[in-house]
Amino acid sequence: MKRRRNSKLKFEEPSDQSPTTTADFTFTLTRLAVSQICQSIGYKATDSSALNTLTVTTTKFLQSLAGLASSFSNAANRTESNLFDVVNGLQDIALSTSDCFPGGSTVHDVESHCLIKSAVVRNLSDFVKYAPEIPFAKPLPRPERDGSSSGRDLDHEAVTVTRSVEYVPAWLPPFPDASLYSDRCTKDGSDHLWENSVTVIDRENLMDSLKSESCRGRKSGRLPQRRARVRFKMERDCSDGDTRWRQDNDAESGRDVEVKKKIIEEYIHCAGEWPI
Amino acid sequence: MNHGQQSGEAKHEDDAALTEFLASLMDYTPTIPDDLVEHYLAKSGFQCPDVRLIRLVAVATQKFVADVASDALQHCKARPAPFVKDKKQQKDKRLILTMEDLSKALREYGVNVKHPEYFADSPSTGMDPATREE
Repeated sequence: MKRRRNSKLKFEEPSDQSPTTTADFTFTLTRLAVSQICQSIGYKATDSSALNTLTVTTTKFLQSLAGLASSFSNAANRTESNLFDVVNGLQDIALSTSDCFPGGSTVHDVESHCLIKSAVVRNLSDFVKYAPEIPFAKPLPRPERDGSSSGRDLDHEAVTVTRSVEYVPAWLPPFPDASLYSDRCTKDGSDHLWENSVTVIDRENLMDSLKSESCRGRKSGRLPQRRARVRFKMERDCSDGDTRWRQDNDAESGRDVEVKKKIIEEYIHCAGEWPI
Repeated sequence: MNHGQQSGEAKHEDDAALTEFLASLMDYTPTIPDDLVEHYLAKSGFQCPDVRLIRLVAVATQKFVADVASDALQHCKARPAPFVKDKKQQKDKRLILTMEDLSKALREYGVNVKHPEYFADSPSTGMDPATREE
């Protein structure tokens, strides 16, 4: 006697490939949920390509709904979405997916404040009332939660760092592990004066070492404390006979005159006359 | 005055209905787990500490998938079945989700899916070995 085969939903699943990344893992979970929904509708089997396509569509639906809700909340100067944002997102998706619902022309009507009047919400309410409950096939591993509602729980590199700083938003990535810190930067809470702090004392020691180096005459790349003064004087050349300009050759040394002439000659050769 | 009272009562009833619906979401377990939904929502920048909204999104997604699958099933049932001698085989293998039905169903929702044609190397590629020998 032939054993009657149980009508199970079967789909092609590659046996060698296990989800390696987070995206593959979440996609596999989504595919399981979608296959359960298809089975509840009445399907006995699915093509793998059809199931994958429906799963991708489901993920796109989720992401588009989330994007719409977050954009509505951002438009209202908020970072956290509320029920109004979600319902507006649902209505926009329903309108864009040709899922016409009564009241679609007065979606953003000012008078209808209550959201339950929206046909989309009423349809969902009826779905929750009458549709059979289909829990997920297998329980998901639950890592330790630290109170945040982010989606990091499905990440293979789940971080279990407890947030000690409350003012840091939950959606930011966590701080690195304390064991990776190279040097503990602890603020000295003592009441001693700033002049006696470690940074000032170290700076003073550095200055002393530099002074001692300059006395020894070592060239350390720094200018010495005492150095000869350099004086520059720029004047127009009066060798053409123009008596307007004052000749100031009396107090100059021979070296200064030569430098001045050289500068003048170079400038005339390059650009022309100096502006007054 | 009376009209204002009636509208106030209606609003109160609507608020109560909405509150009841949100409370019922906590009792209903959607097929898509909350953690999975939270992951996809976080990917798109959705941030909300209220679990009821996560459940609402999960229920909406489940309803969307169910609607698409049911439309595809209608297309599958409406298609005339090929002549098969074994009636049992005909009943068992008929209800299979195929790309053809799924693309027709998704087209109504604004999603265009086209299964690309594939080209075989020879006429007998993909056939069973028994039929290939014949």
